[in-house]
Amino acid sequence: MQAGLLDGVQYGDTVLEARGITKRFPGVVANDHIDFEIRAGEIHAILGENGAGKTTLMNILFGLLQPDEGELYIGGKRVEFRSPLDAIDLGIGMVHQNRKLVSAHTVIENIILGRPRAGTVLNLKRAEEEVNELCERYGFKIDLRAKVWQLSEGEKQIAEILKALYRGAKVLILDEPTSALAPPQTKNLLASIQAMASDELAIVPFITHKLPIVLEISDRVTVLRRGKVTARLETQDATEESLARQMVGREVIFRVESTKVETGKRILQVENLSTRSDKGFLALKGVSFSIREGEIFGIAGISGNGQHELAEVLAGLRKAEEGQVILEGQDITHSSSLERWRMGVGYIPSERVDVGSIGDFSLVENVAMNFYFDDDFSGPGIVNYGDIRQLTEELISEYDVAAPSPDTKAKNLSGGNLQKIILARVLARKPRLVIANLPTQGLDVGATEFVRNKLVEAKEAKAGVLLISEDLDEVLSLSDRVAPIYEGKFMGIIPGDVAKLEQVGAMMAGLRLEGNIIEETGDT
Amino acid sequence: MWEFIARSLEASTIFTVAALGELIDQRSGILNVGIEGVMLFGATFGFIAAQSTDSYLLGFLVGIAIGSLLGLLHGFFSVTLGADQVVVGMGIWIFGFGLTTYIGNPYTGPLGMERVPPIFGLSPFFYLGIVLAAVSWFTLSKTNLGLRIRSVGENPSVAEVSGINVTRTRYLCVTIGGMLGGLAGAIYSLFYNPVWNYNFLMGWGFIALALVFFSMWNPWVLLGGSLLFGTLWQLSLNPQLVLPGLLSRYIWRTIPFAVTIGVLLIISTAWFRRRWGAAKPEALGEPYVKE
Amino acid sequence: MRIGGCQLKLEQRVTLAGWEAALMSILAIVFALFLFGFVFILDDVDPLSAYQEIFSFAFANPYGLPLTINRFIFLLLCTFAFIIPFKAGLWNIGMAGQLYAGALAAFGALFAFGGKELPSPDLSPGIVIPLMLMAAALGGAGVGAIAGFLKGKYNINEIVVTMMLNFIAFWLVAYMIKEGGPFMNPGGRGESFELPSSVYAPLVMDVPFTIFLVLGIAVLLYFLFAKSKIGYQIKAHGHNPAAARYAGISTFKIPLWVFVVGGGLAGLAGYHYFAAVPGVYKIARNYGFFGDLAFYGIICGLISLGNPLAAIPVTLLFGGLSIGGRFVQGKLNMGFGLDYALLGVLMITLVAFQFFYRYKLVLSPSKGSYW
Repeated sequence: MQAGLLDGVQYGDTVLEARGITKRFPGVVANDHIDFEIRAGEIHAILGENGAGKTTLMNILFGLLQPDEGELYIGGKRVEFRSPLDAIDLGIGMVHQNRKLVSAHTVIENIILGRPRAGTVLNLKRAEEEVNELCERYGFKIDLRAKVWQLSEGEKQIAEILKALYRGAKVLILDEPTSALAPPQTKNLLASIQAMASDELAIVPFITHKLPIVLEISDRVTVLRRGKVTARLETQDATEESLARQMVGREVIFRVESTKVETGKRILQVENLSTRSDKGFLALKGVSFSIREGEIFGIAGISGNGQHELAEVLAGLRKAEEGQVILEGQDITHSSSLERWRMGVGYIPSERVDVGSIGDFSLVENVAMNFYFDDDFSGPGIVNYGDIRQLTEELISEYDVAAPSPDTKAKNLSGGNLQKIILARVLARKPRLVIANLPTQGLDVGATEFVRNKLVEAKEAKAGVLLISEDLDEVLSLSDRVAPIYEGKFMGIIPGDVAKLEQVGAMMAGLRLEGNIIEETGDT
Repeated sequence: MWEFIARSLEASTIFTVAALGELIDQRSGILNVGIEGVMLFGATFGFIAAQSTDSYLLGFLVGIAIGSLLGLLHGFFSVTLGADQVVVGMGIWIFGFGLTTYIGNPYTGPLGMERVPPIFGLSPFFYLGIVLAAVSWFTLSKTNLGLRIRSVGENPSVAEVSGINVTRTRYLCVTIGGMLGGLAGAIYSLFYNPVWNYNFLMGWGFIALALVFFSMWNPWVLLGGSLLFGTLWQLSLNPQLVLPGLLSRYIWRTIPFAVTIGVLLIISTAWFRRRWGAAKPEALGEPYVKE
Repeated sequence: MRIGGCQLKLEQRVTLAGWEAALMSILAIVFALFLFGFVFILDDVDPLSAYQEIFSFAFANPYGLPLTINRFIFLLLCTFAFIIPFKAGLWNIGMAGQLYAGALAAFGALFAFGGKELPSPDLSPGIVIPLMLMAAALGGAGVGAIAGFLKGKYNINEIVVTMMLNFIAFWLVAYMIKEGGPFMNPGGRGESFELPSSVYAPLVMDVPFTIFLVLGIAVLLYFLFAKSKIGYQIKAHGHNPAAARYAGISTFKIPLWVFVVGGGLAGLAGYHYFAAVPGVYKIARNYGFFGDLAFYGIICGLISLGNPLAAIPVTLLFGGLSIGGRFVQGKLNMGFGLDYALLGVLMITLVAFQFFYRYKLVLSPSKGSYW
């Protein structure tokens, strides 16, 4: 591999070109003859749903995957990436959505990792000076000596961008750059991106949902659908609706309408609840709220602000440091998770693979996770696998889970189907309180719609639903009341029908809007 | 008393060297619970080689070499084949335990060579242990290679996309770890207790494993821990030096093992764990499969 | 790899059928025995005739067969002591310590009844034997409970703890039976006092009654894992502790439970070998050897993939191999520790074969052939 193909590129030169990229996986063509090019100083967005082949294309451009067919050109020269190292050497930098940083190390250690220039014996001081220069130039603020696990999502992203720049990237691939950012941070990032582009960097953001962002910053857009390029256009010629149509292949309804249900008695009451994170610091700092029958209570926030800990405390998986949890009049603050399942709490965890299911178990055994203790499905000391199998079969057909049989192992299901079976299993208990933690994260449009409708159905069946989501559109369209969360505290509680996107976005970033808060005490 | 201290330091050296090898393994994310097996192999083959050639140098070299081979074997199973590292480690331990019992049996008895002379009254290996601890500490925390090793142990997929060859780095570490394990075994059978006897190690490797957990993956803490356990071990053999007449000598023999459990208990308390949790290589024991 | 017009490649298994697993285990054993053949060759012994000697002594010899069956009972109990925690994802390598504790407790119960007095008292077997059994189970369970408690409560590595407990129990036995210990044989031979003949374990066709006990336990365990709630909880914990916790399964109770039950079974193994095997009836001087034998339990448990019924033929085979190995070692003048060497070779082969539980070799007509 010859490095330096991109030395001395001028504004407007084509720096990276992909021709006829094709990649097949068993049973699916992930990339089907994709053509794509990017020029220096350009911001060229790639738009597509989950499952459209974005990730595959990204991994090919970065050398993590090798295409079955097609060629890559850098600075006009044909290249082949055997590994990310080749791509990095040729000036390609990648900012991953699931951050590729070592969380136990400092920011500067992460930035110089794998970079021979750091010296055999590390010269951190020199590296810090160089990185600080980059920070000033593009307006990044970050503490280089901080450990990565202490950083917010936005800071982690900055660390990744710096890492790529420090290694001399001329092409910067950004995976969902704004998905974990609150609106003010998004604004800062977009400014930095534009500053980088004006320095002749080529920038390729891969985006799934945030069409306004695409329209705001990109010069050109390439739209993918089912592994194929469906549109290639100048951004000035595009509208939100036209992009969405190209992306989904049909007209899309942007908001799933939630029906209004007569709310009944109070199901859950939480008083001044606090808890610690795994690292031992206070992650949730005294929140109070209540949920009624037939109500969806939405918590909007960037991940890492305590909402995950809140869900786990309510599910009985984490100890409350302080405060009280009352379910239908009973104090369950110190109840075990099994007791809560029996009392009608249903928890849908965000970690589908690691917590919500057991990969080596069959679907029957996975459904049994919520029924092995249930008197209807077990005798004294014995689990009635026959009854659970029948239930599993019913759930598979009712929820339209694509699985060959109830004996299929959970690890062989796709993300969407796995989420369906988890949802089915939890809702089949007819819970009084449903806690849904990031229920649609990473799902395609069809599965997302399905999951949302099921949550609305649960609400119509007089359950109380706690919805935790990073997707503002989702929270706003589904929730009857919304509580933006920031650093472990609610920034207020707003009725869903008056909540404005901008307002909730600002609150998620830590702005407390005193005037508009409807305090919990006022809700009787 | 001086004799007791000198013997304690000799004993601690073996813990230091073996545990440093394990520490390097673990820093790269590889758990080798079979370190006792590696030590048994190093001790037995080192003993046989030294006795048959009448050369300490060859004895130690053979011990190191056989250790590195076992390290490579561990690497092949756990890095290349991606097997469960606990299964592999158990395998290497029982493999070593079983095979060396048979192979070493004809050599049962004393080594019959002049002892390696002390330096300033102490075991030369004691100084070696300190040097090794210093080198490990410096390499792991101050050099580019150390940063690579730590990254591979924390998060191999990040290391991979940063352009680090995870497989090669891990192989390097398991080989070094194996060499140190073999060396530790050879120090035992050629210096500390130069008599071959069936299953003579009696848990040294497992205590070394516990020492690594206890050290929070810091070579200096590990060195301190080794000194503690070396002294404790020696004390358990010679309780009359400190507390004559108290308890049966058999009860004394249980003490290092009981203390090991006690130490593990202390480091598992919430206060300790908060620090320990941060120090533990995150990918420890997990096979890495390229995306 | 290309062979003729065909392509040989590795494929990840999606599922592993029962018969495939069984086949794999059998292949692993056969391959290990093949490898072990080289040990004989190195000692100038014809491996085939050596194996013939081993098997005929172990399974067709009136002296060998009872030894094999007694060792089988012992190994099966040790295997269960390994399997039960293993199903919960935990490693019990403390069978040795648990069985020492079981033996000590059984002899302790006997001691309490005055079993050490001379001349041997005439004890009532109907009371003393069940009490000895119970004491053995409790002794083993107690040692197991330490590891289970520390794992469940503080998440302390159970491998190190059970190993440490092995050594502690080892020296405790030495303390009890040697140099004036309470259980020392009055003859002073560094072994425990002998069982009064009145409480020798009842024999059925020269085999101690413990065989019925152990076979009953096998069936019980099979149903435990296939049908019961606790079995389900153990398996869930073994595959994914975080998911188990989510499903309301206690990550404290399960480790404790499996180590208590596993340790109890290992304790019974201690009773069996030191108080029920004809001709022993005492904690022998070389009790450490039986502790070492217990490690066969790990191999048997792994090869039978945690299936308590599959463990029966596997342990029978390995029991026979270790008895037969000891026999040919003497007969053919080979060095001490042949059965240890076999243990080592079996283990490392098994580790290598783990790979084939996850991958399979596929021979397919190669695509895009150049000619």
